[in-house]
Amino acid sequence: MALLEVTNLFAGYGKVEVISGISFNLESGKSIGIVGPNGVGKSTLLQAIAGSISTKTGTVTFDGKKITGKKPEDIVRLGLCLVPEGRQIFSGLSVKENLALGLTGRQNKKGAKEIVSKMHDLFPVLSTHENHQAGMLSGGQQQQLAIARALISEPKVLLLDEPSLGLSPTVITDVFDRLKEIINLGTSVVIVEQRANLVTTFAEQTIVIRDGKVQATLTPADAANSDSLQRSYFGAGK
Amino acid sequence: MIQSVLDAISLGGLYSLAALGLGLVFGVMRLVNFAHAELITIAAYTLVLTTQYPLLVSISFALIVTAFIALLMEFTIYRRLRGVNPAIMLIASFGLSTVLQRLYELMFGALPKSAVVAPFLRGDFKFFGVSITISSVITIVLTITILLLMGYIVEKTSLGLQLRAASADFKTARLLGVRSNRLIGAAFALSGVLATFVALILVIQNPQVSPYYGLNITILSLVGIVIGGIASLRGAAMGGFIVGVVLSALNTLLGNGRVYAYSWLFILVLIILLVRPGGLLSKGSELERV
Amino acid sequence: MKHNGVTRFSLQNFLGPIVVLIAVTYFIGGSSTSLQLVTQLALCLFVMVLSLQIFVGNSGVLSFGHGAFALVGSYTSAILTAPVNIKDNALSMNQLWEPLVNPQVNIYLSLLIASAISGLIAAITGSLLMRLNGLAAGIATFALLGVAYNVFFNNKKIGPGSQALPGVPLITNNWHLLLLAILALVIVYFFNISKIGRSLRATREDAMAAPSIGINIFRIRWIAFTISGALAGLAGGMYSHVAGTFQVQDYYLEFTFITLSMLIVGGSASLWGALVGTFFITAVGHILLMMEQDLPVFGIKVSIPLGSRAVIIALTFVAMLLWRSDGITNGKEFSLPKIGRK
Repeated sequence: MALLEVTNLFAGYGKVEVISGISFNLESGKSIGIVGPNGVGKSTLLQAIAGSISTKTGTVTFDGKKITGKKPEDIVRLGLCLVPEGRQIFSGLSVKENLALGLTGRQNKKGAKEIVSKMHDLFPVLSTHENHQAGMLSGGQQQQLAIARALISEPKVLLLDEPSLGLSPTVITDVFDRLKEIINLGTSVVIVEQRANLVTTFAEQTIVIRDGKVQATLTPADAANSDSLQRSYFGAGK
Repeated sequence: MIQSVLDAISLGGLYSLAALGLGLVFGVMRLVNFAHAELITIAAYTLVLTTQYPLLVSISFALIVTAFIALLMEFTIYRRLRGVNPAIMLIASFGLSTVLQRLYELMFGALPKSAVVAPFLRGDFKFFGVSITISSVITIVLTITILLLMGYIVEKTSLGLQLRAASADFKTARLLGVRSNRLIGAAFALSGVLATFVALILVIQNPQVSPYYGLNITILSLVGIVIGGIASLRGAAMGGFIVGVVLSALNTLLGNGRVYAYSWLFILVLIILLVRPGGLLSKGSELERV
Repeated sequence: MKHNGVTRFSLQNFLGPIVVLIAVTYFIGGSSTSLQLVTQLALCLFVMVLSLQIFVGNSGVLSFGHGAFALVGSYTSAILTAPVNIKDNALSMNQLWEPLVNPQVNIYLSLLIASAISGLIAAITGSLLMRLNGLAAGIATFALLGVAYNVFFNNKKIGPGSQALPGVPLITNNWHLLLLAILALVIVYFFNISKIGRSLRATREDAMAAPSIGINIFRIRWIAFTISGALAGLAGGMYSHVAGTFQVQDYYLEFTFITLSMLIVGGSASLWGALVGTFFITAVGHILLMMEQDLPVFGIKVSIPLGSRAVIIALTFVAMLLWRSDGITNGKEFSLPKIGRK
């Protein structure tokens, strides 16, 4: 059984249905990219999995347990953490305090000092700006803070919603290098990106979403073939 | 003269406590809990009806009762109103306030209940030849203590961190594991504690407790929160302080015209809101969709 | 999703409420003296709730200050119509400013003057307040009420202060009150379907997007506020001629709460909601009153303890809010049930 199984998920806001029957599986230690044009429901998908918005029908199973309908604060404690779109760090709080908040979702209350120190190693910027207000960091630094904050709860699965948003190319490379490091260390990852090329090259699977449904599933080999990527992105003959 | 200054500061302190109580719940839920007045009232009733016990026991009773009622409000009514249009929440809290007022009237009668609480705090003492009231000094000391305590809780504890985070962005806070229901319950319980101390200070000077006892101060606290800045707890306390000080100063300065102190206060509030709609601690105009 | 309201003239939306009003006034208002009084009061409250609907319902901006306009309207109408000898001699009026003693006008003229003055005050205060949103607007409008209450409560030169002004002439004819209510209804109806009304409702959902489609939020809110102030003044005036008195306390917190409740329980987005809310809450209040007095209601006798009526009304209100947060009418206008169509 896969670590994370999403089956026929329908979700939306109020009467508006945004995702209409999405399914995919994430195996332990692997990574999945989710790409697609603007507004197709990629963010909604992640939020529905993390419990931030309610689902209409369908199930999400994590680590063998059904998590559909659970509260986000409970899902985090089970080991699934979302880094939301736009980073959403608490700009009025210090970097240290932002990280400390990440500890709230830890199942294992022990080992807090160790994990924080590990994050400092992985993201040196956290040490240099430890007592500064998080709002004063640059975009790239805030993204690193957001990821570190999520990792502090030592999740088995990390969901990332458009980590490249608003960042310059060099910064993006930096952030994604660290993401690859995290994957190497064993965390399973789902990354939503509008810029497909960022994920298609390394994710075991890249799912293309259009109109709230899965359009195609690609492997890195497919991604090398830009023709098939374009076709699935824009939909041949539609 | 010195007494007037002390009065102003002590009234300011009192109102800042009251405003902080309101501000705690507002911060995490964006809800103005009009029924906070009824928390003050029930604390006052408890204090006045338990004077046969030592003061500390009486205060403990009041703390327990008030915190309990505060939690009850959250469990029975406010929990069902999560995510509802803010105007509806506002009116609902107005309604809850009315329900409790009527309930108190049924339980305690419309005539005031009264008893002397802490008689040793009445009266004056001489300080460098000037006569000042014990109660004003005690109020200031008590207020400062509680504000410092609250400041510690908010800035240095995990609970305080969660409160601040949730006030800024509840959705993201939950994504990090902050338990929404527990946090909101904690905010209500804390607001109940603050309400109890507000009642204590009020009851020392005015022991005539009627079902509407807490109404006046709550309305003015609400005014205080809005002029101080609805976005922060610090703003709430500050706004409350300003309202208290201004009210006291107006009372002293207006002489015979002091019946119109409220009018002047409200005019001042209008001016502040027109110049700084987001509150004094905000920067210029903010369109906060509340 | 909030209903954006009707935008074309529709005969059933327009006549429906009018017919209901006439029916209620005729059947209930005509049946007994106590019910007549209740109906008359309800008609005054209805005009007040309409004033709230036209502003709060359309703009989405909460106003806690309309009691001030009702207060001023009631005062104006009362002081202009009270008999001169009352103004001269009554104990509560012994400090009245001289020029206010002698004038005495016809009731309906006084209502016109009352509405005009309230409207004027609304126009002036509105010019300052209409740029505010949300909680700031609520507090600022409450400040208006606070000032009005404080001034009238304490000043015996302009009025009776904290006491009542006795001897205000009564309007005994239900139909006159009904006509005034219908007049108010017509004004509100045509405002709601007008371009201004529609634009205002567009700003209700998203105040930031509106300017980009050419809507001057400030101006249209100001217009709505002014009209609502005038209507509130009319309501206050009407009430003084039903109660036969003017008293400051009648327009403060409880009044504000009850009228806002009537609007929200009925459904703030529509005129029909204003009507349903007013009569629903009035009916519940009256039925509970009868139960408190051990009187049979529709032939059934249910007793409730004295004093519990107030608790139950407030509880009902809160329960309604929990159950139907868009109001009983869900924001829709009056419409006949569709029979035989699908």
